Amino acid sequence: MNFKKIYISYRPIFLVLPTFIFFLVFFIIPVASLFIIAFDKPVTGVLALQGEWTLKSFLRIWNRSLYFDAAVMSLTLAALVSIITLIIGYPLAYLIAKTENVARNTFLMILVLCAMQLDMVIRLFGLMVLLGDNGVINGALMYFDIIEKPIGLMYNKLGVVIGLVQFSLPFMILSLIGIIRGISPSVVEASRSLGASPNKTFWNIILPLSMPGILAGTLLVFAISISSYLVPALMGGWKVMMMPLHVYQQVAEMGKWQFGSAIAVVLFLTSLLSVLIYQKTAIRIAGGRA
Amino acid sequence: MAAKRLKEVGEVGFLVKFGSFIALCILLIPVFIVVLTGLNSGDHLTFPPEGFSTRWIVAFFQSEEFLSAFLFSFGLALIVMVISTILGTMAAIFITRFKFPGINILRAIFLSPLILPGIVLGLALYVFYISSGWGLARTYLGMIIAHVLVTMPYVIGTVSASLFNFDVNLEQAARSLGASPLTAFRKVTLPNISNGVMAGSVFAFIVSFGQFDVSLFMSTPNNTPLPIALYWSLRYTFEPTAAAAGIFAICLVILSMLITSRLVNLKKFSGVKFS
Repeated sequence: MNFKKIYISYRPIFLVLPTFIFFLVFFIIPVASLFIIAFDKPVTGVLALQGEWTLKSFLRIWNRSLYFDAAVMSLTLAALVSIITLIIGYPLAYLIAKTENVARNTFLMILVLCAMQLDMVIRLFGLMVLLGDNGVINGALMYFDIIEKPIGLMYNKLGVVIGLVQFSLPFMILSLIGIIRGISPSVVEASRSLGASPNKTFWNIILPLSMPGILAGTLLVFAISISSYLVPALMGGWKVMMMPLHVYQQVAEMGKWQFGSAIAVVLFLTSLLSVLIYQKTAIRIAGGRA
Repeated sequence: MAAKRLKEVGEVGFLVKFGSFIALCILLIPVFIVVLTGLNSGDHLTFPPEGFSTRWIVAFFQSEEFLSAFLFSFGLALIVMVISTILGTMAAIFITRFKFPGINILRAIFLSPLILPGIVLGLALYVFYISSGWGLARTYLGMIIAHVLVTMPYVIGTVSASLFNFDVNLEQAARSLGASPLTAFRKVTLPNISNGVMAGSVFAFIVSFGQFDVSLFMSTPNNTPLPIALYWSLRYTFEPTAAAAGIFAICLVILSMLITSRLVNLKKFSGVKFS
């Protein structure tokens, strides 16, 4: 009897056991082994563990301007993209949050979600046809004699920024909608009835109250922008080197497993840090609303 | 007067509408361009466009490269969807229903593939596949495992959300009326969370179908998902056949989002859940 009781109360464990084992074997151990390899003695072309702990790979990132600059470039462009995405994304998030009509609201949400879920390579195909030297924009400008030769809209930093903004905009919008919807209409009404103009109400009431969503959105966009391999690879034409490009290049093309892993670890920790701050703010938001 | 003011508060100004229009353009114009390129009659999309034709659609159906990659991705996404939905639903029930020490850590682990940069996860798995000696590197099974990892958080997130909304008392009522735990779950709980489970599986499908980053280290000439095939072709040229393949992918995404909007309240799909 006693045995049966214990048996029943521990049975739910079997619901989670397969997933837990799966994550242990194919997630926790692989990520941990990536850390181990990053601290192992670098030997080109050899993945097997050397067993000599060293910081060589990390010092190389720090000392070689090629890799240090890539880290700085990643951080700068990601910060820039976060700000641009916020400015572009806020109005649409506000519109969706304030749209009461269910059909129209669902329609707008489907547009944002479709744009987000569509394979990024396909979206970049569209952007590249639009921005290329023989692309639609340059073609149109030359057709109307506004410019004589194509202006460089991609294969440079501008192209990478445009690509990353297109990539991360839906994430920003989704981070903002919930917060903006949570702003009580009576606060806004109070401000207006006390004589504040719509403009003043926005800057003094609505914007400060959306701050948690703004912070969460910019951090999330920052984290996904530094992690993107595709956008700098295609929109930057391998001329704008960001960290994910080096990870792939070092491992797949040069066989430098330890060094590639070290760059991956730096990338992982940078993105983890911004996500941790993001979650802190997200939890505070959830707590504030409850 | 007050009523008029109240109405004003709910309305949005011209600047908001204009800004929203810009944002929608940035989100959607690249998609329209892909559709135009795929339906264009010229060799590449020019300004002004030359006219419409279905020649690239036909070329897609005859292309060994893109059609096989499309079918590969579709099959992969189906398998991944089934595995992720089953494992993810079970795990979601556990982490929402039962109080165990360390359950928050468990939840964080299950959701963390979302925040790990795809290229880092891809490399970690690739390194593990090679050094474990299980022969998983650059195999179909290895690819399935990687995709299950990245799609599982979507299933767990969506199913957990629908479990939170479900009143546990209903299941307990069934139990007190003599139903076994399994029967009570199957007859009472499952029908109530089925929308969440289906929405989660649709997400798993579409995330796997569009997955690039973790597939990068896994693919071989025989194991090429559509995003990887498109990427390699896009590095050298703008092939309208690739755009035609894109049109079908766009249709799949639109279809899956329409299904999702029927299953769950999209209003709740904001903020933390996508983190």
